[in-house]
Amino acid sequence: MKRILNILIVVFIVLGSNNTYAQSDELVNVCALGIGNATYLKDYKVKLSASSVSPPSAKFNVIMNKGTMYKITVCNAEGHAGEAVVALMDNASTLGTNLKPDGTFVKAVGFQCTKTGMYSINVSFKDGKEGAAVAILSYINMK
Amino acid sequence: MNRHWLKLAFAALIVSAFLQTGCKGDGKKSISDDIEIPDSIFNDKPLMISKEAMEDIIDNISSPVEMAALLKSTGTPFSQKLLASTSRIDDLNTNFKQALNLGVYGCDLGYLNMYEKTGSVITNMTAIKTLSNELRIGQFFDFSTIKRLATNNENLDSLMYISVSSFNNMDEYLRQSNRGNISSLIVTGMWIEGMYLAAQVAKDAPQEEIIERIAGQKLVLNDLILVLKNYKSDANFADLIEQIESIKKEYEAVKITYEMAEPEAKEVDGMLIIVQNDKQHIDISDETLSSIIGVIESVRSKIINL
Repeated sequence: MKRILNILIVVFIVLGSNNTYAQSDELVNVCALGIGNATYLKDYKVKLSASSVSPPSAKFNVIMNKGTMYKITVCNAEGHAGEAVVALMDNASTLGTNLKPDGTFVKAVGFQCTKTGMYSINVSFKDGKEGAAVAILSYINMK
Repeated sequence: MNRHWLKLAFAALIVSAFLQTGCKGDGKKSISDDIEIPDSIFNDKPLMISKEAMEDIIDNISSPVEMAALLKSTGTPFSQKLLASTSRIDDLNTNFKQALNLGVYGCDLGYLNMYEKTGSVITNMTAIKTLSNELRIGQFFDFSTIKRLATNNENLDSLMYISVSSFNNMDEYLRQSNRGNISSLIVTGMWIEGMYLAAQVAKDAPQEEIIERIAGQKLVLNDLILVLKNYKSDANFADLIEQIESIKKEYEAVKITYEMAEPEAKEVDGMLIIVQNDKQHIDISDETLSSIIGVIESVRSKIINL
């Protein structure tokens, strides 16, 4: 009997995880609607646990092209305490972040690229809280 | 009572399994009946680079929409004759051929969407539907919605979004289900087709931005070859690597130099705008450009005539 119950628990966990995927896809769709006058390129789904010692982060490498204006839009998932902090990096140096010095957030981060190459988008959650979010990379047509 | 619970558990497992396969296809099983890409390629031999590194690289390569956007932004008119014919679909009878050409049609889809050629989108999508179904990844494309948006010429931003995100989701799934070989072929097909479109435009009406974009792809080539080399034990992959290396050889004469400077940032209407002040100088001679265009045409021709 206990074994059967364990099987059922596993089944419901599996079904539950499917639901989580569906929720993150839904968040991508909603977030993509809010990118304004930009064209969607990629999305990055992030879910991180809380940590006060060494706040975890997720890193995504992306090649950006000279002459293109990129835009990174972040949407936080409901039901999670964390607010996503997204930083655009060129090797080890931070080019910019959506977190302002006063602790508030900008709506999006734009990047006028003048050098084709590998950049990275780092996502963590403010104050090391647990959180789930989606970052959408898009480009803005300047002409 | 026990029997009742057993039946219930069994039913739940069946439902779970059905949902898993119904939503996401059946993983690497589809490869096992492909005579040209045996399971042994990815099951028995270690990857030369880690799975994570490979995913990272693949993620970087495919952006056919950006190439199409560049062509449009430079005022280049749409040209139907640049697109790959969809009449040979039935001849694409192996996963290798199907995946490469799915990438080609995926890139063409981005080009068609960019120029809002919705009539041709349906023909292109029919080819994509056939190939993705053959590769058992058709579930990632909402064909009926795409067809409706294209037919009614409505909400073209949504059409672009659904098209691009469908390819992204499909690619993510392929890599998560140990079908990185298929993913690498789709990405290669996309890259070659994007380069072909740019090359044709550069050949007919050379513009600095397009030439620089072509030349800048030198940075991508090594990564592309690195990914494909994971599967070099397969004769088809070995041949494809040889072709991509022939492109790389022509790129050796392209010189890229940099001038570094501090970026500037300012907030405009609630958005942080970062302006990069680095400068990138790309030096490519007419002869080198001509050679690159020639080899791209040759490789692309081989892919679409497989």
